Amino acid sequence: MTMPAYYDFCSRVKTISGENAMEKIPGLLKGLGVRRPMIVTDRGVEAAGLIDTVTEAIDGGLDIGAIYADIPVDSDYRVVDDGAAVYQNNRCDAIIAVGGGSVIDTAKGINILASLGGKSLLGCQGAGTIRRKLNPLAVLPTTSGTGSEMTLVAVIADTERQEKMLFVSHFLLPDLAVLDPRLTRTLPDFLTSQTAMDALAHACESYYCMEKNPVSDALALRAISLISEHLLPAVRNPAETSARLALANASAMAGAAFSNSMVGLVHNLGHVVGAVCHVPHGTCMSILLPYGLEYNTHRREKAIGEILFSLAGPEIYAKTPEKARPDKAVEQIRMLNEDLHNITGGKHPRFLGEIRNKDGTPAVPRSALPEIARKTMADGARLPNPEEILPEDALMVLEHAWAGIHLDRSRIRKGA
Amino acid sequence: MNIDRYPEIRPGKKVFKKAYAFVVLLVVGRGIEAADRVDGEVKDIVRGLPEGFTFSLGVAPSGPWMVIRKEKSGKLRYLGWRRFGKTIELDMAIRNIEAAFRIFTFRESTAQAHNNGRFSVNGNLPNALAIMRIMDIAEIYLLPKIIATLAVKRYPDRRELPPGRKHFNRLRIYLRAFSPGLFRVVYRNL
Repeated sequence: MTMPAYYDFCSRVKTISGENAMEKIPGLLKGLGVRRPMIVTDRGVEAAGLIDTVTEAIDGGLDIGAIYADIPVDSDYRVVDDGAAVYQNNRCDAIIAVGGGSVIDTAKGINILASLGGKSLLGCQGAGTIRRKLNPLAVLPTTSGTGSEMTLVAVIADTERQEKMLFVSHFLLPDLAVLDPRLTRTLPDFLTSQTAMDALAHACESYYCMEKNPVSDALALRAISLISEHLLPAVRNPAETSARLALANASAMAGAAFSNSMVGLVHNLGHVVGAVCHVPHGTCMSILLPYGLEYNTHRREKAIGEILFSLAGPEIYAKTPEKARPDKAVEQIRMLNEDLHNITGGKHPRFLGEIRNKDGTPAVPRSALPEIARKTMADGARLPNPEEILPEDALMVLEHAWAGIHLDRSRIRKGA
Repeated sequence: MNIDRYPEIRPGKKVFKKAYAFVVLLVVGRGIEAADRVDGEVKDIVRGLPEGFTFSLGVAPSGPWMVIRKEKSGKLRYLGWRRFGKTIELDMAIRNIEAAFRIFTFRESTAQAHNNGRFSVNGNLPNALAIMRIMDIAEIYLLPKIIATLAVKRYPDRRELPPGRKHFNRLRIYLRAFSPGLFRVVYRNL
């Protein structure tokens, strides 16, 4: 491989993985000086009984200051402001986040406000505003996709402006990530599939985007192979602990990888589709991932071809001519999406036009695509993408992803 | 111990590199102001910025800098290289003069430099992305193709930017950038 002229890599999250990993939490948090943590979660996680499992596991070791469970699916900065007030009113000194991406990112936002002071997260925007260590944060992911337990990023929505605010700081790295299969066992099949495809998107994009580096490459490739090996078994048999644990680890590894090498087109478009049309992030990722690879193949042919090794195994990789490997990798991801669509009884969408709201109306109307394309310019994920993404490019990709057809490569603008 | 035997080692001033960065920032600053009057895409992006929005781009820790503001008229105005007394809403700084020299000699594109952590950004990220796009467009007009291809991620082909429009706009931008207004802004900053 070609060594990058420069890279930096930082992943200092203490990670514990395995059955009964949660029982280690009190000792580890006490070691960080924690006495009174606040649990941050959402109603779905609470209703699934996971908070009882967590509190039983840490019973007696810590004094729980508060349980804040008012985080909606589409969390925004006002939820963060509200949660920070609860934290301060109950004199908490740390956060235990139990949930998926929305919960973890909201917990990071609450930690910014609770640690730095202030009344609203809107005052803390910008890449350089978080300049000191925040209070301890332990993350217990209940989905295997976001990777937020390993990242220095928090994405929090501003629903008034229909934008997602990006917070980036090494101080946002959690202190502790706990990967316990009890946390993901109750996850429905279609959420398992979509969140795991999110992790796959993290791993793939970190492997071919502009900040790729040897350390994140190693994590990304291993994450891809774990997902391709264990995703279908985990969706078919949700109680299979080893597959669940493998996906949780893959998600964490992909999180550590993309936290250092960042992501590109897939997340650029996915963030905006999510913000404008309120589509779950994992859904966007599973649909857009093949298009991200197709759009960038002319710039990253070798790297995208190498992904095939982890996706399909050594035999298929060796059988496929070097020139055909990028297309084969795209085909493998499309086949995986198709399999997941069939296993979940159609709950795993394959293209944007197929996503429906609860009332049956299209979640992403075709008429929304120009607005989505225009707003991609305000999303930070467009910078690390190997090929330039302007609104016309974004619209062209979105139209293909909406109809579920392969990207017409002749329409990709490659420059002079 | 005779302290005089151990003279203080002073860091090199790197006068040439700073002077070069100063000239590049001056030309790019004036070029951005001119591009806002000439190029449709720049006009669209500027329309989305708040009135009075002021940003600076420069080299940490001690400059040089360029400062640009969106005026009440809705147009960008290059204010010069002095930051004192101005409320900067978006502060984009290249981390040191060596990194700045790499970028300004086009050994690293703006996007690659950002990805390599050469920039620190204080302020609203969408606005920073908008400014970076404006800078890319200004560079496409200001620089010859052979150099601009090194500075931007994708140099537009004939379909994206027809040669006639490119050369006409380039001429207009050069005329505006080096118009008597340049001397006025230099005089004000002295």
